[in-house]
Amino acid sequence: MKLRVLLVDDEIMIREGFKKLFDWQGHDCQVIDEAADGAQALNKIDCLVPDLVIMDINIPIMNGLKVIQQAKAKYPDMAFIIVSGYDDFAWCREALRLQITDYILKPVDYEEFGQCIDRLKISLFENRISHHETATGEPRPILKITSYLQDHLSEEISLSLLSQQFHLNPQYISQLFRSEIGVNFLTYLTDIRLEHAKKLLISTDLSITDIAMESGYSDYRVFTKVFKKSEGITPSRYRHEFSHPLEHQK
Amino acid sequence: MIRMEIALFLILAMVAAFYFSTPRIHSPLHETFSILLVAVLFHLVLDTITVFTVNNLDLVPVFLNDTIHRLFIGTLIIVEYLFYQYMSNLIQEDAGQLTFLDHIARFFLIIFETGVLTLPIHYAVTPEGNYSDGIHANLCYIGVAFYITLCIWMLIRHHKKIRLIAGSTITAALLIEIIVCIIQGLHPSWLISGMGITLVTMTFYLILENPDKLRAELIEQKMSMLYLKSQVNPHFLYNTLDSIRIQAQLDGDEKVAHLLMRLVDFFRLNIRSDQQMVTLDHEMELIDAYMELMCTRYPSITYISECPEELLDYVVPNFILQPLVENSLLHGLKNKGYEGTVKVAVEQIDEIRMEIRIEDTGTGFTDEVRQKINGSLLLWKKQSEKTEGNHIGISNVQRRIHLLCGSEYGLSYSENEDGGVIAHIILPLTMEEL
Repeated sequence: MKLRVLLVDDEIMIREGFKKLFDWQGHDCQVIDEAADGAQALNKIDCLVPDLVIMDINIPIMNGLKVIQQAKAKYPDMAFIIVSGYDDFAWCREALRLQITDYILKPVDYEEFGQCIDRLKISLFENRISHHETATGEPRPILKITSYLQDHLSEEISLSLLSQQFHLNPQYISQLFRSEIGVNFLTYLTDIRLEHAKKLLISTDLSITDIAMESGYSDYRVFTKVFKKSEGITPSRYRHEFSHPLEHQK
Repeated sequence: MIRMEIALFLILAMVAAFYFSTPRIHSPLHETFSILLVAVLFHLVLDTITVFTVNNLDLVPVFLNDTIHRLFIGTLIIVEYLFYQYMSNLIQEDAGQLTFLDHIARFFLIIFETGVLTLPIHYAVTPEGNYSDGIHANLCYIGVAFYITLCIWMLIRHHKKIRLIAGSTITAALLIEIIVCIIQGLHPSWLISGMGITLVTMTFYLILENPDKLRAELIEQKMSMLYLKSQVNPHFLYNTLDSIRIQAQLDGDEKVAHLLMRLVDFFRLNIRSDQQMVTLDHEMELIDAYMELMCTRYPSITYISECPEELLDYVVPNFILQPLVENSLLHGLKNKGYEGTVKVAVEQIDEIRMEIRIEDTGTGFTDEVRQKINGSLLLWKKQSEKTEGNHIGISNVQRRIHLLCGSEYGLSYSENEDGGVIAHIILPLTMEEL
């Protein structure tokens, strides 16, 4: 499933950079159009109904947050990634309220942006399965595999192990992930492991070592490293920042 | 009496010499005080002459006596007006514009001066001494009373808005003026107006216009200008650097693009300078970015960093590593032609402490530098701003560690066998409290 992307930024250089420097093909995406201000953006959102809008906040005519608000009212499933130079808590909070997919800072690290897209794909996939869960009788192979992964997060998992479990060729499983979700197997596994860890960090008092174990990392250090690479902060910092959101509204 | 006037003149001449030789900021307040000083000096000269002429009516021709007397009273009114103007400027600094009152004061100045120059003068001759009375002298009293009233009114109206120091200066000056006026009214032959004027001028000088005060203001102004200069809009910086980076990347120059990214990282991390404590992670990232940029500038420098993951979440005083690493580069490695290694290593010492070591393979300390540094580390409390460049950095780091973590922690230096220097920072293992 190819993601159709609309780029919104008032600087042509930023848009050019995005178009040419990020590997859209490799992430199974396609930039279908671009817009330079808020009005144009809303107009193109209406005409094209993209799957994903990459949105700068500080743009002419109407700011990015307002565009998102209006677009979300019409297209609640549309995904938005905010790309902004503003490292500002008030805006982040407002953006989070609008339930955007991600908020990344300029200058954009394209590797980080790629992780963002992967995460979006995984959450889109999870939305799809929760919508169709009740519809069909026999679940598709990918659903069997992903639900197995969810249940065995704390264990060591590999493609060969999965292939024994499901009597499927490892290459075929890898192919399944690419075609059904749009990300490779390892990315998916890391993502659901970290999501699980984040949930535990916020909602429980378990020690970081225990959470690492629970999420399938036998080595605390490896866990911290992977977590930091993905989230930009260490696990205990994450717990600190997000477990008491009300106290943090400074 | 003449001797007192001469003494007053000499004192104020000295004050004026101090005042005009001290560099100061240009503000309406100081401008007014400069004019006031000159006017008072003029006035005291005329005062001295008048004390002589008025008591020697038979020696001095009437016309000359009158002229000098008119000039004497004329400058007296000008000085009173300048007192008003000075206090008005002082109040305006805190309470804003009062131009309406200033216009009134200026308008009446013209009326009084016209009167002083035209009205007839009459001299009272008494055994205790001579003085002028009649309509001319009364106009002078009215003028002084008028300006004092303006000042009192201004003070009462704005006393809530002005600083304590301004309020008390004005109050003191007004009290002196009023007391002198009363005494002068009771004993017209004492001729103490010159003393009153000198006392008020000295009050302003001692409290608000002395060299220390002027220098402090100048430094403050310089600092705030530096501060404003450093306030380049960070978004301008990020956005511009980003555009340049994208252009570099579009041109296929990955290296430049990467370095620009690191430069932005460095700025972003630096901007959190309002926090006193940051995670070790934050400090290490800042140093990584900084050193990557420095190693590009000086390719013969190698940077090594070793920090166990489990220590990254402990908090440390903000911005303690960068000044020390910079010292290693600028003092240790510079003299070796920027060749060598800088290593930042973090280690847990025991249950409650960690050590950060910054090692370089530079030229090490000369005996003199070692002494200076040990001195500034031990005596940071007595450090004045005069200490040269890099020692401020070191003692500043030491001071913040002592204040934020306790004096059992801190910075010390030792030397490598190969000649380089090792900075040791001992810090507590504290987690940020929620």
